[in-house]
Amino acid sequence: MERGYWIRSKPLYDSLVWKQHATGHVVIAEGEGGIAVLKLFQQMCPREPIKLLFADDTSATKKYADIITKLVPEGLQVCESGEAVLAALREQLPDCLMGTQFYVAGSEAFIWAVIEELKVYGVQDRNVEKELSGTLARSVYCVHCKTTDKDVHHSIHQCSGCGRHLFVRDHFSRRLGAYMGVMVDAEEPGNIPAAEEIYP
Amino acid sequence: MSVLNVKVAEVEQVTEVVKHFTLVQENGEPLPRFSGGSHVVVSMDINGRIHRNPYSLMGSTANTDSYHISVRKQENSRGGSVYMHEQVKPGSTLQITYPTNLFAISKLGRRHILIAGGIGITPFMSQISDLNRLGYDYELHYAYRSPEHAAFREQLQEMCGDRVHFYVDSEDERLDIPDLLSHQPLGTHVYICGPVPMVKALHLHAKNLGWPDNHVHSEEFTAPPSGDEFTVELALSGMEVTVPGDMSMLEAMEEAGAEPPFLCRGGACGRCELEVVSCDGVIMHNDHYLSDHEKAEGRSIMPCVSRAKCSKLVVNL
Repeated sequence: MERGYWIRSKPLYDSLVWKQHATGHVVIAEGEGGIAVLKLFQQMCPREPIKLLFADDTSATKKYADIITKLVPEGLQVCESGEAVLAALREQLPDCLMGTQFYVAGSEAFIWAVIEELKVYGVQDRNVEKELSGTLARSVYCVHCKTTDKDVHHSIHQCSGCGRHLFVRDHFSRRLGAYMGVMVDAEEPGNIPAAEEIYP
Repeated sequence: MSVLNVKVAEVEQVTEVVKHFTLVQENGEPLPRFSGGSHVVVSMDINGRIHRNPYSLMGSTANTDSYHISVRKQENSRGGSVYMHEQVKPGSTLQITYPTNLFAISKLGRRHILIAGGIGITPFMSQISDLNRLGYDYELHYAYRSPEHAAFREQLQEMCGDRVHFYVDSEDERLDIPDLLSHQPLGTHVYICGPVPMVKALHLHAKNLGWPDNHVHSEEFTAPPSGDEFTVELALSGMEVTVPGDMSMLEAMEEAGAEPPFLCRGGACGRCELEVVSCDGVIMHNDHYLSDHEKAEGRSIMPCVSRAKCSKLVVNL
Protein backbone atom coordinates (compact mmCIF):
# COMPACT_ATOMS: atom_id res chain seq x y z
CA MET A 1 0.00 0.00 0.00
CA GLU A 2 1.77 3.13 -1.17
CA ARG A 3 1.04 6.12 1.04
CA GLY A 4 -0.25 9.32 -0.44
CA TYR A 5 -0.92 7.65 -3.77
CA TRP A 6 -4.36 6.97 -5.17
CA ILE A 7 -5.75 5.75 -8.45
CA ARG A 8 -8.51 8.26 -9.06
CA SER A 9 -10.74 5.91 -11.01
CA LYS A 10 -11.15 3.58 -8.02
CA PRO A 11 -14.71 4.17 -6.77
CA LEU A 12 -15.36 5.23 -3.20
CA TYR A 13 -18.33 3.75 -1.40
CA ASP A 14 -20.12 5.28 1.53
CA SER A 15 -22.92 4.44 3.93
CA LEU A 16 -26.39 5.06 2.56
CA VAL A 17 -27.98 8.24 3.92
CA TRP A 18 -31.32 9.67 2.74
CA LYS A 19 -30.92 12.74 0.58
CA GLN A 20 -32.64 15.80 1.94
CA HIS A 21 -34.04 17.13 -1.32
CA ALA A 22 -35.93 14.73 -3.57
CA THR A 23 -39.17 14.04 -5.41
CA GLY A 24 -38.88 10.32 -4.65
CA HIS A 25 -36.45 7.65 -3.47
CA VAL A 26 -35.58 4.31 -5.05
CA VAL A 27 -33.52 1.84 -3.00
CA ILE A 28 -32.03 -1.15 -4.81
CA ALA A 29 -30.21 -3.87 -2.87
CA GLU A 30 -29.12 -7.48 -3.01
CA GLY A 31 -27.80 -10.01 -0.50
CA GLU A 32 -25.64 -8.43 2.22
CA GLY A 33 -26.88 -5.07 0.96
CA GLY A 34 -29.86 -5.95 3.20
CA ILE A 35 -27.83 -4.68 6.17
CA ALA A 36 -27.29 -1.35 4.42
CA VAL A 37 -31.05 -1.14 3.79
CA LEU A 38 -31.82 -1.83 7.45
CA LYS A 39 -29.34 0.84 8.51
CA LEU A 40 -30.95 3.27 6.06
CA PHE A 41 -34.41 2.61 7.49
CA GLN A 42 -33.13 3.27 11.01
CA GLN A 43 -32.68 6.90 9.94
CA MET A 44 -35.58 9.35 9.87
CA CYS A 45 -37.59 8.35 6.81
CA PRO A 46 -38.14 11.04 4.20
CA ARG A 47 -41.65 12.26 3.35
CA GLU A 48 -41.39 11.56 -0.36
CA PRO A 49 -42.50 8.17 -1.78
CA ILE A 50 -39.99 5.32 -1.39
CA LYS A 51 -39.58 2.27 -3.62
CA LEU A 52 -37.43 -0.59 -2.35
CA LEU A 53 -36.33 -3.44 -4.60
CA PHE A 54 -34.56 -6.25 -2.78
CA ALA A 55 -33.42 -9.83 -3.34
CA ASP A 56 -31.68 -12.14 -0.90
CA ASP A 57 -28.60 -14.01 -2.01
CA THR A 58 -30.12 -17.49 -2.29
CA SER A 59 -26.79 -19.22 -1.64
CA ALA A 60 -26.05 -17.27 1.55
CA THR A 61 -27.12 -18.50 4.97
CA LYS A 62 -28.06 -15.03 6.23
CA LYS A 63 -31.32 -13.73 4.77
CA TYR A 64 -32.83 -10.26 5.20
CA ALA A 65 -36.12 -10.24 3.24
CA ASP A 66 -38.26 -11.22 6.24
CA ILE A 67 -36.86 -8.50 8.50
CA ILE A 68 -37.10 -5.90 5.73
CA THR A 69 -40.74 -6.90 5.06
CA LYS A 70 -41.58 -6.24 8.71
CA LEU A 71 -39.86 -2.85 8.74
CA VAL A 72 -40.83 -1.49 5.34
CA PRO A 73 -44.58 -1.71 4.83
CA GLU A 74 -44.92 0.37 1.68
CA GLY A 75 -43.19 0.37 -1.67
CA LEU A 76 -41.30 -2.88 -1.05
CA GLN A 77 -40.85 -5.40 -3.83
CA VAL A 78 -38.99 -8.57 -2.83
CA CYS A 79 -37.51 -10.29 -5.88
CA GLU A 80 -36.19 -13.79 -6.49
CA SER A 81 -32.68 -12.80 -7.55
CA GLY A 82 -30.39 -9.91 -8.35
CA GLU A 83 -31.35 -10.30 -12.02
CA ALA A 84 -35.03 -9.99 -11.07
CA VAL A 85 -34.21 -6.80 -9.14
CA LEU A 86 -32.64 -5.33 -12.28
CA ALA A 87 -35.71 -6.32 -14.32
CA ALA A 88 -38.03 -4.70 -11.74
CA LEU A 89 -35.89 -1.55 -11.82
CA ARG A 90 -36.09 -1.44 -15.63
CA GLU A 91 -39.89 -1.33 -15.31
CA GLN A 92 -39.78 1.51 -12.79
CA LEU A 93 -37.37 3.84 -14.55
CA PRO A 94 -39.57 5.19 -17.38
CA ASP A 95 -41.94 6.65 -14.76
CA CYS A 96 -39.25 8.20 -12.57
CA LEU A 97 -38.90 11.98 -12.64
CA MET A 98 -35.87 14.22 -12.17
CA GLY A 99 -35.33 14.57 -8.47
CA THR A 100 -35.65 10.83 -7.86
CA GLN A 101 -32.74 9.75 -5.66
CA PHE A 102 -31.19 6.33 -6.11
CA TYR A 103 -29.51 4.25 -3.38
CA VAL A 104 -27.72 0.99 -4.19
CA ALA A 105 -26.23 -1.61 -1.84
CA GLY A 106 -24.68 -5.00 -2.46
CA SER A 107 -21.57 -6.44 -4.06
CA GLU A 108 -19.53 -4.23 -6.34
CA ALA A 109 -20.69 -6.22 -9.38
CA PHE A 110 -24.34 -5.64 -8.37
CA ILE A 111 -23.79 -1.91 -7.75
CA TRP A 112 -22.35 -1.42 -11.22
CA ALA A 113 -25.00 -3.59 -12.88
CA VAL A 114 -27.60 -1.24 -11.36
CA ILE A 115 -25.66 1.82 -12.53
CA GLU A 116 -25.58 0.35 -16.04
CA GLU A 117 -29.41 0.31 -16.01
CA LEU A 118 -29.58 3.86 -14.63
CA LYS A 119 -27.14 5.15 -17.22
CA VAL A 120 -29.62 4.28 -20.00
CA TYR A 121 -31.91 6.88 -18.44
CA GLY A 122 -29.22 9.54 -18.19
CA VAL A 123 -28.51 9.07 -14.48
CA GLN A 124 -24.81 9.61 -13.79
CA ASP A 125 -23.06 7.29 -11.34
CA ARG A 126 -21.73 10.19 -9.27
CA ASN A 127 -25.30 11.11 -8.40
CA VAL A 128 -26.11 7.61 -7.07
CA GLU A 129 -25.58 6.73 -3.39
CA LYS A 130 -23.59 3.51 -3.18
CA GLU A 131 -22.75 1.21 -0.26
CA LEU A 132 -20.48 -1.77 -0.78
CA SER A 133 -21.71 -4.69 1.34
CA GLY A 134 -20.56 -8.16 2.26
CA THR A 135 -17.64 -8.74 -0.06
CA LEU A 136 -14.78 -6.91 -1.70
CA ALA A 137 -14.84 -9.35 -4.66
CA ARG A 138 -13.94 -7.62 -7.91
CA SER A 139 -14.89 -7.96 -11.53
CA VAL A 140 -11.61 -8.09 -13.44
CA TYR A 141 -11.25 -7.15 -17.09
CA CYS A 142 -8.36 -8.81 -18.90
CA VAL A 143 -6.74 -6.13 -21.02
CA HIS A 144 -5.26 -8.83 -23.28
CA CYS A 145 -8.31 -10.91 -24.30
CA LYS A 146 -11.11 -8.58 -23.06
CA THR A 147 -12.73 -11.25 -20.88
CA THR A 148 -14.36 -10.02 -17.67
CA ASP A 149 -14.23 -12.46 -14.74
CA LYS A 150 -16.61 -11.89 -11.85
CA ASP A 151 -16.16 -12.63 -8.14
CA VAL A 152 -12.39 -12.41 -8.15
CA HIS A 153 -10.95 -12.68 -4.64
CA HIS A 154 -7.28 -13.10 -5.48
CA SER A 155 -4.51 -11.17 -7.09
CA ILE A 156 -2.79 -12.81 -9.01
CA HIS A 157 -5.84 -14.05 -10.95
CA GLN A 158 -5.73 -16.51 -13.83
CA CYS A 159 -7.91 -15.20 -16.69
CA SER A 160 -10.69 -17.63 -17.66
CA GLY A 161 -10.47 -16.40 -21.25
CA CYS A 162 -6.78 -16.65 -22.13
CA GLY A 163 -5.18 -18.31 -19.10
CA ARG A 164 -2.78 -15.42 -18.50
CA HIS A 165 -1.88 -14.61 -14.91
CA LEU A 166 -3.25 -11.16 -14.19
CA PHE A 167 -2.16 -8.61 -11.64
CA VAL A 168 -5.37 -6.88 -10.48
CA ARG A 169 -4.96 -3.12 -10.49
CA ASP A 170 -7.05 -0.43 -8.72
CA HIS A 171 -7.66 1.15 -12.13
CA PHE A 172 -11.46 0.94 -12.54
CA SER A 173 -13.65 1.31 -15.62
CA ARG A 174 -17.02 2.87 -14.91
CA ARG A 175 -18.21 1.77 -18.33
CA LEU A 176 -17.33 -1.89 -17.77
CA GLY A 177 -17.80 -1.92 -13.99
CA ALA A 178 -14.51 -3.80 -13.67
CA TYR A 179 -10.91 -3.42 -12.57
CA MET A 180 -8.02 -3.72 -14.98
CA GLY A 181 -6.08 -6.98 -14.99
CA VAL A 182 -2.65 -6.99 -16.62
CA MET A 183 -0.34 -9.94 -17.37
CA VAL A 184 2.07 -10.14 -14.43
CA ASP A 185 4.87 -12.08 -16.14
CA ALA A 186 5.00 -10.23 -19.45
CA GLU A 187 8.59 -9.11 -18.91
CA GLU A 188 9.86 -12.25 -17.17
CA PRO A 189 7.79 -15.16 -18.51
CA GLY A 190 7.10 -17.72 -15.82
CA ASN A 191 7.90 -15.37 -12.92
CA ILE A 192 4.45 -15.46 -11.34
CA PRO A 193 4.03 -14.34 -7.72
CA ALA A 194 1.76 -16.46 -5.53
CA ALA A 195 -1.92 -15.60 -5.60
CA GLU A 196 -3.10 -13.93 -2.39
CA GLU A 197 -6.63 -13.42 -1.19
CA ILE A 198 -6.95 -9.64 -0.86
CA TYR A 199 -10.61 -9.17 -1.90
CA PRO A 200 -12.40 -11.47 0.58
CA MET B 1 -3.19 34.98 -26.32
CA SER B 2 -3.83 34.42 -29.99
CA VAL B 3 -6.44 36.66 -31.53
CA LEU B 4 -8.54 36.79 -34.66
CA ASN B 5 -8.72 40.02 -36.63
CA VAL B 6 -12.26 40.47 -37.83
CA LYS B 7 -14.20 43.01 -39.85
CA VAL B 8 -17.82 43.96 -39.26
CA ALA B 9 -19.74 42.91 -42.36
CA GLU B 10 -23.19 43.92 -41.22
CA VAL B 11 -24.95 45.62 -38.32
CA GLU B 12 -28.63 45.06 -37.74
CA GLN B 13 -30.83 46.83 -35.20
CA VAL B 14 -32.84 43.92 -33.78
CA THR B 15 -34.77 45.76 -31.09
CA GLU B 16 -34.50 49.25 -29.63
CA VAL B 17 -31.59 48.10 -27.41
CA VAL B 18 -30.13 45.08 -29.22
CA LYS B 19 -27.80 45.16 -32.19
CA HIS B 20 -26.67 42.12 -34.14
CA PHE B 21 -23.15 42.15 -35.65
CA THR B 22 -21.91 39.89 -38.43
CA LEU B 23 -18.14 39.40 -38.25
CA VAL B 24 -15.89 38.00 -40.99
CA GLN B 25 -12.18 37.36 -40.89
CA GLU B 26 -10.21 40.37 -42.18
CA ASN B 27 -8.03 38.19 -44.39
CA GLY B 28 -11.11 36.62 -45.96
CA GLU B 29 -10.38 33.13 -44.62
CA PRO B 30 -13.03 30.99 -42.90
CA LEU B 31 -13.29 31.37 -39.12
CA PRO B 32 -12.45 28.52 -36.71
CA ARG B 33 -15.22 26.03 -36.05
CA PHE B 34 -17.01 26.26 -32.72
CA SER B 35 -19.56 24.32 -30.66
CA GLY B 36 -22.98 25.54 -29.53
CA GLY B 37 -22.82 27.80 -26.45
CA SER B 38 -19.33 29.18 -27.25
CA HIS B 39 -18.34 32.80 -26.75
CA VAL B 40 -15.59 35.12 -27.93
CA VAL B 41 -14.01 38.04 -26.10
CA VAL B 42 -14.12 41.26 -28.12
CA SER B 43 -11.38 43.86 -27.52
CA MET B 44 -12.34 47.50 -27.86
CA ASP B 45 -10.03 50.47 -27.73
CA ILE B 46 -12.08 53.13 -25.97
CA ASN B 47 -10.15 56.39 -25.57
CA GLY B 48 -6.88 54.53 -25.24
CA ARG B 49 -8.15 52.03 -22.72
CA ILE B 50 -8.70 48.44 -23.82
CA HIS B 51 -12.06 46.98 -22.87
CA ARG B 52 -12.67 43.28 -23.35
CA ASN B 53 -16.24 41.96 -23.26
CA PRO B 54 -17.40 38.37 -23.75
CA TYR B 55 -20.25 37.78 -26.23
CA SER B 56 -21.92 34.48 -27.14
CA LEU B 57 -21.67 33.26 -30.71
CA MET B 58 -25.19 32.88 -31.98
CA GLY B 59 -24.88 31.76 -35.56
CA SER B 60 -25.22 28.22 -36.81
CA THR B 61 -22.28 26.03 -35.81
CA ALA B 62 -22.20 24.82 -39.43
CA ASN B 63 -21.32 28.32 -40.64
CA THR B 64 -17.66 29.30 -40.53
CA ASP B 65 -17.90 32.14 -43.07
CA SER B 66 -19.05 34.53 -40.36
CA TYR B 67 -19.57 34.83 -36.61
CA HIS B 68 -22.69 36.43 -35.18
CA ILE B 69 -22.90 38.28 -31.88
CA SER B 70 -25.64 40.39 -30.37
CA VAL B 71 -25.08 43.19 -27.93
CA ARG B 72 -27.60 44.72 -25.60
CA LYS B 73 -26.91 48.36 -24.87
CA GLN B 74 -26.29 48.78 -21.13
CA GLU B 75 -26.51 52.50 -20.39
CA ASN B 76 -25.24 52.41 -16.80
CA SER B 77 -22.25 50.30 -17.52
CA ARG B 78 -18.57 50.63 -18.27
CA GLY B 79 -19.01 51.59 -21.87
CA GLY B 80 -18.27 48.43 -23.87
CA SER B 81 -21.82 47.88 -25.07
CA VAL B 82 -22.34 51.59 -25.75
CA TYR B 83 -19.15 51.57 -27.83
CA MET B 84 -20.39 48.56 -29.80
CA HIS B 85 -23.70 50.35 -30.42
CA GLU B 86 -22.38 53.80 -31.26
CA GLN B 87 -18.91 53.38 -32.72
CA VAL B 88 -18.89 50.01 -34.45
CA LYS B 89 -20.18 50.22 -38.02
CA PRO B 90 -19.99 48.00 -41.10
CA GLY B 91 -16.31 48.01 -42.09
CA SER B 92 -15.02 48.52 -38.53
CA THR B 93 -12.27 46.14 -37.47
CA LEU B 94 -12.17 44.37 -34.12
CA GLN B 95 -9.96 41.85 -32.38
CA ILE B 96 -11.61 38.79 -30.90
CA THR B 97 -10.28 35.72 -29.11
CA TYR B 98 -10.77 32.20 -30.45
CA PRO B 99 -14.13 30.78 -29.36
CA THR B 100 -14.25 28.97 -26.01
CA ASN B 101 -17.18 27.06 -24.61
CA LEU B 102 -18.17 27.14 -20.97
CA PHE B 103 -21.83 26.43 -21.72
CA ALA B 104 -21.95 23.27 -23.81
CA ILE B 105 -24.87 20.86 -24.12
CA SER B 106 -24.27 17.76 -21.97
CA LYS B 107 -23.91 14.74 -24.21
CA LEU B 108 -25.00 12.54 -21.28
CA GLY B 109 -28.43 14.17 -21.18
CA ARG B 110 -31.59 12.62 -22.66
CA ARG B 111 -33.62 15.82 -22.68
CA HIS B 112 -32.59 19.45 -22.57
CA ILE B 113 -34.59 22.38 -21.18
CA LEU B 114 -33.22 25.77 -22.24
CA ILE B 115 -34.34 28.88 -20.35
CA ALA B 116 -33.51 32.35 -21.64
CA GLY B 117 -34.21 35.73 -20.07
CA GLY B 118 -33.91 38.71 -22.43
CA ILE B 119 -30.53 38.99 -24.16
CA GLY B 120 -29.65 35.66 -22.49
CA ILE B 121 -31.16 34.10 -25.60
CA THR B 122 -27.88 34.48 -27.54
CA PRO B 123 -25.93 31.34 -26.46
CA PHE B 124 -29.00 29.22 -27.14
CA MET B 125 -29.13 30.32 -30.78
CA SER B 126 -25.97 28.32 -31.53
CA GLN B 127 -26.90 25.54 -29.10
CA ILE B 128 -30.18 25.04 -30.95
CA SER B 129 -28.35 24.55 -34.22
CA ASP B 130 -26.33 21.80 -32.46
CA LEU B 131 -29.44 20.25 -30.86
CA ASN B 132 -31.27 20.19 -34.19
CA ARG B 133 -28.29 18.63 -35.94
CA LEU B 134 -27.91 15.93 -33.25
CA GLY B 135 -31.66 15.28 -33.13
CA TYR B 136 -31.78 15.76 -29.35
CA ASP B 137 -34.99 16.22 -27.38
CA TYR B 138 -35.19 19.83 -26.21
CA GLU B 139 -37.50 22.69 -25.24
CA LEU B 140 -36.75 26.41 -25.23
CA HIS B 141 -38.45 28.77 -22.79
CA TYR B 142 -37.79 32.40 -23.65
CA ALA B 143 -38.95 35.17 -21.32
CA TYR B 144 -38.65 38.84 -22.26
CA ARG B 145 -39.95 42.18 -21.09
CA SER B 146 -42.42 43.32 -23.76
CA PRO B 147 -43.30 42.73 -27.43
CA GLU B 148 -40.71 45.38 -28.50
CA HIS B 149 -37.98 43.30 -26.82
CA ALA B 150 -38.83 40.08 -28.63
CA ALA B 151 -35.39 39.69 -30.20
CA PHE B 152 -35.12 36.82 -32.71
CA ARG B 153 -38.65 35.55 -32.05
CA GLU B 154 -39.43 34.75 -35.68
CA GLN B 155 -36.05 33.13 -36.26
CA LEU B 156 -36.56 30.97 -33.17
CA GLN B 157 -40.00 29.89 -34.29
CA GLU B 158 -38.48 28.83 -37.57
CA MET B 159 -35.60 26.96 -35.88
CA CYS B 160 -37.55 25.32 -33.05
CA GLY B 161 -41.14 24.93 -34.28
CA ASP B 162 -43.37 23.90 -31.39
CA ARG B 163 -40.37 23.35 -29.08
CA VAL B 164 -40.21 27.08 -28.25
CA HIS B 165 -42.39 28.81 -25.65
CA PHE B 166 -42.51 32.59 -25.20
CA TYR B 167 -43.31 34.51 -22.02
CA VAL B 168 -43.98 38.22 -22.38
CA ASP B 169 -43.67 39.98 -19.04
CA SER B 170 -45.76 43.03 -20.04
CA GLU B 171 -48.63 40.69 -20.97
CA ASP B 172 -48.46 38.99 -17.58
CA GLU B 173 -47.08 35.80 -19.01
CA ARG B 174 -44.74 34.18 -16.50
CA LEU B 175 -42.55 31.14 -16.72
CA ASP B 176 -43.30 28.92 -13.72
CA ILE B 177 -39.84 27.42 -13.09
CA PRO B 178 -40.82 25.08 -10.19
CA ASP B 179 -43.69 23.70 -12.27
CA LEU B 180 -41.46 23.22 -15.31
CA LEU B 181 -38.82 21.37 -13.26
CA SER B 182 -41.28 19.22 -11.34
CA HIS B 183 -42.36 16.96 -14.21
CA GLN B 184 -39.19 16.23 -16.17
CA PRO B 185 -38.10 12.66 -16.87
CA LEU B 186 -34.79 11.22 -15.63
CA GLY B 187 -31.76 12.39 -17.54
CA THR B 188 -33.08 15.93 -18.15
CA HIS B 189 -30.57 18.78 -18.09
CA VAL B 190 -31.56 22.41 -17.66
CA TYR B 191 -29.62 25.40 -19.01
CA ILE B 192 -30.23 29.04 -18.14
CA CYS B 193 -28.86 32.34 -19.33
CA GLY B 194 -30.47 35.53 -18.14
CA PRO B 195 -30.64 38.09 -15.34
CA VAL B 196 -28.99 37.11 -12.04
CA PRO B 197 -32.24 36.74 -9.99
CA MET B 198 -33.65 34.37 -12.62
CA VAL B 199 -30.49 32.25 -12.60
CA LYS B 200 -30.44 32.14 -8.80
CA ALA B 201 -34.12 31.16 -8.69
CA LEU B 202 -33.50 28.27 -11.07
CA HIS B 203 -30.58 26.94 -9.02
CA LEU B 204 -32.65 27.18 -5.84
CA HIS B 205 -35.73 25.43 -7.24
CA ALA B 206 -33.65 22.71 -8.90
CA LYS B 207 -31.83 22.02 -5.65
CA ASN B 208 -35.06 21.87 -3.64
CA LEU B 209 -36.51 19.36 -6.10
CA GLY B 210 -33.44 17.15 -5.75
CA TRP B 211 -31.85 17.86 -9.14
CA PRO B 212 -28.13 17.05 -9.04
CA ASP B 213 -25.86 20.09 -9.55
CA ASN B 214 -24.35 18.59 -12.68
CA HIS B 215 -27.74 18.65 -14.43
CA VAL B 216 -28.10 22.42 -13.95
CA HIS B 217 -26.05 24.65 -16.25
CA SER B 218 -25.91 28.41 -16.22
CA GLU B 219 -23.98 31.15 -17.87
CA GLU B 220 -23.75 34.66 -16.55
CA PHE B 221 -21.13 37.06 -17.71
CA THR B 222 -20.63 39.51 -14.92
CA ALA B 223 -19.30 42.91 -15.85
CA PRO B 224 -16.50 43.82 -13.43
CA PRO B 225 -18.06 45.90 -10.65
CA SER B 226 -16.38 49.18 -9.78
CA GLY B 227 -15.04 49.96 -6.33
CA ASP B 228 -12.23 51.76 -4.53
CA GLU B 229 -8.76 52.31 -5.89
CA PHE B 230 -6.10 49.94 -4.55
CA THR B 231 -2.56 48.82 -5.35
CA VAL B 232 -1.55 45.38 -6.58
CA GLU B 233 2.00 44.15 -6.23
CA LEU B 234 3.03 41.36 -8.60
CA ALA B 235 5.39 39.35 -6.39
CA LEU B 236 7.33 37.59 -9.15
CA SER B 237 7.98 40.58 -11.40
CA GLY B 238 8.08 43.14 -8.60
CA MET B 239 5.69 45.32 -10.60
CA GLU B 240 3.30 47.61 -8.75
CA VAL B 241 -0.02 48.48 -10.38
CA THR B 242 -2.66 50.95 -9.26
CA VAL B 243 -6.19 49.72 -9.95
CA PRO B 244 -8.50 52.71 -10.45
CA GLY B 245 -12.05 52.44 -9.10
CA ASP B 246 -13.64 52.08 -12.54
CA MET B 247 -11.23 49.52 -13.94
CA SER B 248 -10.95 45.80 -13.20
CA MET B 249 -7.77 44.42 -11.66
CA LEU B 250 -7.14 42.33 -14.78
CA GLU B 251 -7.49 45.37 -17.05
CA ALA B 252 -5.19 47.43 -14.85
CA MET B 253 -2.50 44.74 -14.89
CA GLU B 254 -2.78 44.42 -18.67
CA GLU B 255 -2.55 48.15 -19.15
CA ALA B 256 0.59 48.20 -17.01
CA GLY B 257 2.18 45.72 -19.41
CA ALA B 258 1.74 42.49 -17.43
CA GLU B 259 0.34 39.47 -19.25
CA PRO B 260 -1.86 37.64 -16.76
CA PRO B 261 -3.81 34.63 -18.07
CA PHE B 262 -7.51 35.01 -18.88
CA LEU B 263 -10.31 33.32 -20.77
CA CYS B 264 -13.92 34.35 -20.12
CA ARG B 265 -13.38 37.69 -18.33
CA GLY B 266 -16.73 37.17 -16.64
CA GLY B 267 -15.84 35.32 -13.45
CA ALA B 268 -17.00 31.98 -14.82
CA CYS B 269 -14.08 29.90 -16.06
CA GLY B 270 -11.36 30.19 -13.42
CA ARG B 271 -8.52 30.64 -15.90
CA CYS B 272 -7.32 33.95 -14.45
CA GLU B 273 -7.15 32.68 -10.83
CA LEU B 274 -4.23 34.25 -8.97
CA GLU B 275 -2.73 33.18 -5.68
CA VAL B 276 -3.00 35.87 -3.03
CA VAL B 277 0.26 36.29 -1.10
CA SER B 278 -1.05 38.98 1.22
CA CYS B 279 -3.80 41.55 1.50
CA ASP B 280 -4.05 44.24 4.16
CA GLY B 281 -7.80 44.57 3.74
CA VAL B 282 -10.60 42.41 2.35
CA ILE B 283 -11.05 40.78 -1.05
CA MET B 284 -14.37 41.53 -2.76
CA HIS B 285 -15.06 38.26 -4.59
CA ASN B 286 -17.49 38.71 -7.49
CA ASP B 287 -16.90 35.48 -9.44
CA HIS B 288 -18.99 32.30 -9.79
CA TYR B 289 -15.91 30.08 -9.86
CA LEU B 290 -14.51 29.88 -6.32
CA SER B 291 -16.56 28.03 -3.70
CA ASP B 292 -17.87 29.98 -0.70
CA HIS B 293 -15.23 28.21 1.36
CA GLU B 294 -12.42 29.30 -0.99
CA LYS B 295 -13.75 32.85 -1.01
CA ALA B 296 -13.70 32.93 2.77
CA GLU B 297 -10.16 31.56 2.84
CA GLY B 298 -9.02 34.44 0.66
CA ARG B 299 -6.04 32.60 -0.84
CA SER B 300 -7.18 33.16 -4.44
CA ILE B 301 -8.66 35.98 -6.47
CA MET B 302 -10.26 36.15 -9.93
CA PRO B 303 -8.90 39.48 -11.16
CA CYS B 304 -11.34 39.66 -14.09
CA VAL B 305 -14.28 40.58 -11.83
CA SER B 306 -13.00 40.64 -8.26
CA ARG B 307 -11.10 43.40 -6.51
CA ALA B 308 -9.95 44.34 -3.04
CA LYS B 309 -10.78 46.95 -0.44
CA CYS B 310 -7.28 47.48 0.85
CA SER B 311 -4.19 49.58 0.37
CA LYS B 312 -2.05 46.74 -0.98
CA LEU B 313 -2.78 43.32 -2.44
CA VAL B 314 0.19 41.06 -3.28
CA VAL B 315 -0.37 38.29 -5.83
CA ASN B 316 1.89 35.51 -7.05
CA LEU B 317 2.40 36.65 -10.65
